[in-house]
Amino acid sequence: MDKGISIKGLVKEYPGHRQGERGHRVLNGLDLSIADNEFVCILGPSGCGKSTLLNTLSGLDNDYSGEVSFGGRPVGRNGKPPVKMGYLFQDPRLLPWLTAERNVDFVLENSDVPKARWAEIKNHYFALTGLEAFRHHYPHELSGGMAQRLSLVRALAIEPDVLFMDEPFSGLDELTARRMRVDLLDIWSRTGKTILFITHNSYEATFLADRVVVLSQGNIREEIRVEVPRPRDYDDPALFDISKQVSANFIAAAEEAERARLEQQAG
Amino acid sequence: MFVKVGSIIAAVLAWLGLSFLFPETILPGPFQTTMVLAENFANGEIFQHLFATLGRVLGGLALAMAIGIPVGVIMGVNRFAEKTLDIWVMVALTVPSLCYAIFAFIWIGLNETAAIVAIGLTSAPSIAINLWEGVKNIDTRLFKMAKVFNASRWVIIRRVLFPQVLPYIMASLRFGLGIVWKITVLVELLGRPDGVGFELFYWYQLADMQQVLAWTLLFTIVMLFIELVILQNMERKLFSWRPKVKI
Repeated sequence: MDKGISIKGLVKEYPGHRQGERGHRVLNGLDLSIADNEFVCILGPSGCGKSTLLNTLSGLDNDYSGEVSFGGRPVGRNGKPPVKMGYLFQDPRLLPWLTAERNVDFVLENSDVPKARWAEIKNHYFALTGLEAFRHHYPHELSGGMAQRLSLVRALAIEPDVLFMDEPFSGLDELTARRMRVDLLDIWSRTGKTILFITHNSYEATFLADRVVVLSQGNIREEIRVEVPRPRDYDDPALFDISKQVSANFIAAAEEAERARLEQQAG
Repeated sequence: MFVKVGSIIAAVLAWLGLSFLFPETILPGPFQTTMVLAENFANGEIFQHLFATLGRVLGGLALAMAIGIPVGVIMGVNRFAEKTLDIWVMVALTVPSLCYAIFAFIWIGLNETAAIVAIGLTSAPSIAINLWEGVKNIDTRLFKMAKVFNASRWVIIRRVLFPQVLPYIMASLRFGLGIVWKITVLVELLGRPDGVGFELFYWYQLADMQQVLAWTLLFTIVMLFIELVILQNMERKLFSWRPKVKI
């Protein structure tokens, strides 16, 4: 089944606070297509529309205009994608009154994965993420890295076609984050999913992605293909070179945002 | 545990010491009080009064929770309800409990229903406020999580909202109990022919401090038992997932 994502002319506008005031356009006619099994990183300064994009794609917000389709099928009336989606938030967002395993059960119960397969799936991902010994621990007993790993298990357990990730490693220390990035690529190469990954970190984006999309002012500023073969080495100099180009774009986008903000303030 | 037992022993000793400084009619000592309490137990009437009071405490608490929880939750989740109701909850909180008792006995009559209504109405506002504050602290980011993982509205209410509200319900139960039993004795004094409050008032009129202290002691022990043994254990079981806080 095709799990690609196609976005055409996506506009999201927040109304002005006062009568007659112009609304604020967060997404400004964005066109983007993501191929089946592609790993795309979205990079951009705060307010460029990254989180809004994920909210609209995941159905959390369906007050937008434009066309979104998954594998050629449009989003339903309720705004939910017609494919199975997994989600990683910036914070782990675990239910604190459930053990690690019960947190995974919670999403399985709301999925179409047959109960007969739960045990096998959980064993697989708990082992893969090194959380085997912590299945019966409560979230507050886990470190930040373990909690985020558990939320990765949760997102993968429902066997999603599409995985949305909203700066999932930004709250972790660099060593843990680095390990998680390597693990994520490993899991992705074995399971095959379309991944949309939002980040502030240009090296993270370059290391992970097939394609880095830099957003600015609610539209695409630049797309950079990362033509480095996989499996990738975290310290590959070729990645550093591409990451410089990504950085330069990111900084330029941030400057544009700053300029626009000042112009708006000046009236 | 050791510290707790030690402080109880210290308090009894202090009582004993103080009782030597005053005549028996003003402050009887722990021994005399315990003896009187034992005699009361022996002649058996004590249970009739104790159970009458406990019944009113439970009835009043149930009514207070039945009013306070929905009002508090609605105020916590709905801004319009919050704006409309907050002044009235404050008013209801300010009216003295004696007034509720008088209104209830005059309007409903000198009966059990009136007593329970008076107790329930007095403590409902405190419970509502407790829950109102609690519901505001709910983590709404978890609702978003549940939504992207396909949970229905009913699943979200039952499995994400309710577990977050439950600690506040339990807290208000304990807190409500503390208020309710104080009001119950007052209501009994005013308009019931039995119960701990009635007994206290009766012995007060006879200026029998030994009996007054014996009844106070009995009631306090029973209430502490409910609070420390029953409710705390219930909470421990329900909220074992919480990080242990050392006090």
